[in-house]
Amino acid sequence: MRVQKKPKFIRVPFIGELALSGVRPIIGILLGIIAGGVLIALSGINPFKAYGAMLQGAFGSLQSFSNVLVRSSPLLLGGVGVALGIKAGVWNTGIEGYMYLGAIGAAVVGIPALNLPPVLHIALALIVGMLFAAAWGLIPGFLRAYRGVNEVTTTIMLNYVAIFLTSWLVSEPQPLAEIDSFYPMSKLFQESAQLPILMKGTSLHPGAFIGLAVCILFYFILRYTPFGFQTRMLGINPNAARYSGVNTKQKIMLIIMIGAMMGGLAGAIEVTGLKRRVYMDFVTGVGYESVAVALVAGGNPLAVIAAALFFSALKAGGATMSIQTGVGAPMTSVIIALCVLFVIGVGISERRRLSKAVDKDEPDKVGAAGSKEDPNVI
Amino acid sequence: MERNEFALQMQNVTKRFPGVLANDRISLDCKKGEVLGLLGENGAGKTTLMNILYGLCQPDSGQILVDGQEAQITSPLKAIQYGIGMVHQHFKLVDSLTALENIILGIPSKKPLLDLAPARARLLKLCEEYELFVDPDTNVWRLPVGQQQWVEILKALYRNAKILVLDEPTSVLTPAESDQLCRAVRRLTDEGRSVIFISHKLREVMEITQRVTIIRDGKLIGTIPTKEATQKKLAQMMVGRPVTLVRKPRPVIDKKEPILVMKDVTVNDDRGIPALKNFNLTIHAGEILGVAGVDGNGQRELAECIVGLRKPSSGTITVRGQQITNVTADPSFIGFIPEDRQKTGLVLDFNVSENLIIKDCKRAPYVKKGILQYPAIKKHARSMIKKFNIKTPSGDVKARTLSGGNQQKVVIARELNPEPVLDIASQPTRGLDMGAVVSVHDTLLDERNRGAAVLFISAELQEVMALSDRIIVLFRGEIMGDLDGGTADVSTIGEMMLGQGSEVGA
Amino acid sequence: MSFDMIVDWLQATLRWSAPLIIVSTGEVLSERSGIINMGIEGIMLSGALCGVAISFLTGSVLASVLVTIVLGIIMGAAVAFLTVSRRTNQVVTGLMLNLLALGGTNLLFGLLSESRQTRVTTFPVLFPEAWHNIPVVGPVLFQQPVSTLIALILPICLSIVLYKTNWGLNVRAIGDNPQSAATAGISVKKIKYQTVILSGIFAALGGCALTLGEVGYFASGGMTAGRGFIVLAAIVVGGWDPIRTALACLVFGAADAAQLRLQTMESIIPYQFFQMLPYVITIIALTIMVKRSIVPKTWGAPYDPRDV
Repeated sequence: MRVQKKPKFIRVPFIGELALSGVRPIIGILLGIIAGGVLIALSGINPFKAYGAMLQGAFGSLQSFSNVLVRSSPLLLGGVGVALGIKAGVWNTGIEGYMYLGAIGAAVVGIPALNLPPVLHIALALIVGMLFAAAWGLIPGFLRAYRGVNEVTTTIMLNYVAIFLTSWLVSEPQPLAEIDSFYPMSKLFQESAQLPILMKGTSLHPGAFIGLAVCILFYFILRYTPFGFQTRMLGINPNAARYSGVNTKQKIMLIIMIGAMMGGLAGAIEVTGLKRRVYMDFVTGVGYESVAVALVAGGNPLAVIAAALFFSALKAGGATMSIQTGVGAPMTSVIIALCVLFVIGVGISERRRLSKAVDKDEPDKVGAAGSKEDPNVI
Repeated sequence: MERNEFALQMQNVTKRFPGVLANDRISLDCKKGEVLGLLGENGAGKTTLMNILYGLCQPDSGQILVDGQEAQITSPLKAIQYGIGMVHQHFKLVDSLTALENIILGIPSKKPLLDLAPARARLLKLCEEYELFVDPDTNVWRLPVGQQQWVEILKALYRNAKILVLDEPTSVLTPAESDQLCRAVRRLTDEGRSVIFISHKLREVMEITQRVTIIRDGKLIGTIPTKEATQKKLAQMMVGRPVTLVRKPRPVIDKKEPILVMKDVTVNDDRGIPALKNFNLTIHAGEILGVAGVDGNGQRELAECIVGLRKPSSGTITVRGQQITNVTADPSFIGFIPEDRQKTGLVLDFNVSENLIIKDCKRAPYVKKGILQYPAIKKHARSMIKKFNIKTPSGDVKARTLSGGNQQKVVIARELNPEPVLDIASQPTRGLDMGAVVSVHDTLLDERNRGAAVLFISAELQEVMALSDRIIVLFRGEIMGDLDGGTADVSTIGEMMLGQGSEVGA
Repeated sequence: MSFDMIVDWLQATLRWSAPLIIVSTGEVLSERSGIINMGIEGIMLSGALCGVAISFLTGSVLASVLVTIVLGIIMGAAVAFLTVSRRTNQVVTGLMLNLLALGGTNLLFGLLSESRQTRVTTFPVLFPEAWHNIPVVGPVLFQQPVSTLIALILPICLSIVLYKTNWGLNVRAIGDNPQSAATAGISVKKIKYQTVILSGIFAALGGCALTLGEVGYFASGGMTAGRGFIVLAAIVVGGWDPIRTALACLVFGAADAAQLRLQTMESIIPYQFFQMLPYVITIIALTIMVKRSIVPKTWGAPYDPRDV
């Protein structure tokens, strides 16, 4: 059985690789949108009107687009962190936890009055946030690399530990906690530790642009550095990677920690840019959404940009859709979930089946010398 | 009505896989109460034939008669219903379940609850009958390998198999256990059951079977009564083929410096069983050492431990004085052409240029200031494509799209271009067409002529004889003989491959 | 800590553990056959809402249970189709189903706004009133609704099914070595569908037990609060064995009950650490078990029938 379909769009640089893995996910997303439309119709509302309102809410004005950008910040960073893991063959699903740890780290630096110029104060907050998250990622990273413990379970467990850890730290009488507040939250961040607003009247902070830059950076690293080269090799064929001299264990742990740092950065940016405090339970599922983003993007950092923006547009537009047409607000989560389910149901399974099949060694099907060659065996 | 003397008849069975004619009108038959030996090298087609018999795959044409009646064997369940039992070479057991549970697994039952007592009683009775004792209530993973083999056999007997296929049953058994097995087989045939006995061990085949069928290259070579067979004759039928490879002329190289020295090396396979025991070997510069032997006698472990992918449990391996403990970082030291190029040799989703530098991805000129230099990588690819005659539209296509022969050329280009001191070629011509085979042979000979030490492992005896300066024969992890390549004789080597050594065989 | 408080805590332990045990019943089967249904959190949440909604609409807990079972079958079948037939990544499938359920339940709950004010009919307590006041045993056992009692019996039933029936044998075989099971003639796909659908049914019923077991209402945005994942954790800690998993559920339920009470008390250990406890224990347990190879061999890996 022949293996590959003829790929389309191969000549276009950059996009070529994107489109190759992009055709199937796009079909999945379309199915998800259609399914969402059906659900909206079932609730008695015109789906075209609803989606129209959504588009307007996302792209209608510069203001609304700024909302899209704000929401995309954690998805970009979390998504690219998970994507890097996917390229290396690990599922780093701990973004929720990393975001909390990043927020705590930022709070530790951002709350006390350090009398630093804003650039330094912010930078310090973000860096410390990333370090805290890296330490958090060390646990599943080590356990997976050196003990063979499934990283999905450990990261999801740690997500919950992180939630409760944060809850404790922002509840009185902890030093970081706000005094006499009705809801557990940290003290307010210093002015100097708050990210600047880029557009008056919006909540647009540099987060999205940092996220975009990181995505492009990671694409560059994956494609143009030995580190990225070996990472990709590890994800496709760990045996060959081992043979060619890659220290597979060290690399896996490192990749998980880098993913953790990106999650930490996302969390640190959320609290220094948008919320200015650390609220208990502030992450609300964004971490798992970034896993969805990475999956739909097939691990490609540039595709992460597209997927993150797409999901953010859905969420930002969803609020408008809800106000204007009466569709319930949670519908956006439903649509996002449907899109991802259709994507994995339709497409990604194919790739995994291929790579699994090719790994098989089939000596008995190969003829002796003198017979025709075997094509790529399934 | 004449009583049918044949328990099984397979007539003109043909099976084609993409690019390979695995079974070409093979016919065999097995009488009731007879042990039929089935001989053939790996790749000869006997596994496919047995898979067809057991319903694991369907023939393109031909028919199977069980006790004179035509049988449509569409699944293992059907095969069991026809009374065919198969004991696979690689056990199909569920380790966490007990022996008894494994034996009754899959038998349709009217009762929802497990009723183990009658099953246990029946099993113990079978154990006694055939003297194959296992503890029914021990988990399989705890059982020694020999007893796991008994469980596999008892599984078939429990289902009242009239035709039992044993695929390399003694490959994991001690001599005492092998005797036990032979006695059990004899009891089976005394009862009128039939056994198809697949084995490479000539001595056993001569002892147990009444007739022997030999298959080679997908074709039936012949079936002869064991009484009329000699080991020499069997070996020749199994291994000998029209000579298509002529021994190549070569310059004589004197004063060969030892390059690879293995002392008392013991290496375990994936199951933890020693694949090589107290193994000693020396290969010199400018010498091709051919390793002949049926696949599965330690060849893979030999290659892997020399390269550094598998750690020996004892002994030392040195290459030019340097001890091998791990995979070497220096590509100009050892070149390795692995037997499964798609698993260890290539990254199929990478393109050709990338595959050529997987060992060099941190070195100049492919990296400058930490950034991969694709122009340099592509240039290198172009020159390799030309030098090694790799048929590919460019270096940018994925390795997956290349034919087997060209994939192999990519591996060869990468491994041999740096002119390493030691080449290890493990089944390098597997799956290649004649032209590609010749090209690989020429390459290896060139390596030898320039002074490299070459370890050439192959299950194809013809090419081992055509290419090697020295030949050793591996059987069960031991060297059966060390012969001169120019003067070695096919049938001698053939016998060694099947366990008859110049030293006492197993 | 007074005696009354301990009794109260024991009673709460059983009450909080019951939904966990119910959910674990189905999921143990699924994981034993090699499929991790990470969506049980979402299915549990859906079952919780379904139970309240149907009870509100019909006033009958029996109707609630029946509809919840149907819901569990549908959601379980969806998971089965994706993970078994399409061989998708089990983690992402489950996580996305959770997201879907979260959004879906919030949406539907918005439509049922009247039910917010009323407490619906809950599961009955079957024991006679007189027994309720027997010291210790009274509150701990006899004041429990019927769902809790069922939860205590389920692990034993599951043990029997898993270890003493032919079907259970097949399930265990498939989870360990699907190729060998297939060669023996077992339909791997069929049994995986069966176990996954069962995990859906029990997850939904567990959610139903959560809301109808005592509280009688549904609160959006956090009804199950990660309890589905706690069940996954309990199964790991329990080594995929029904009885040990139920014990793990009891321990985790005890921690849950403790942290709720500690929230209103002065204590040296912050209540959040009790909340963390199940998850930390799970990570440690998993690490130990991997070392000892107790983890089922095909845990989480898709099965390709062509691999025979």
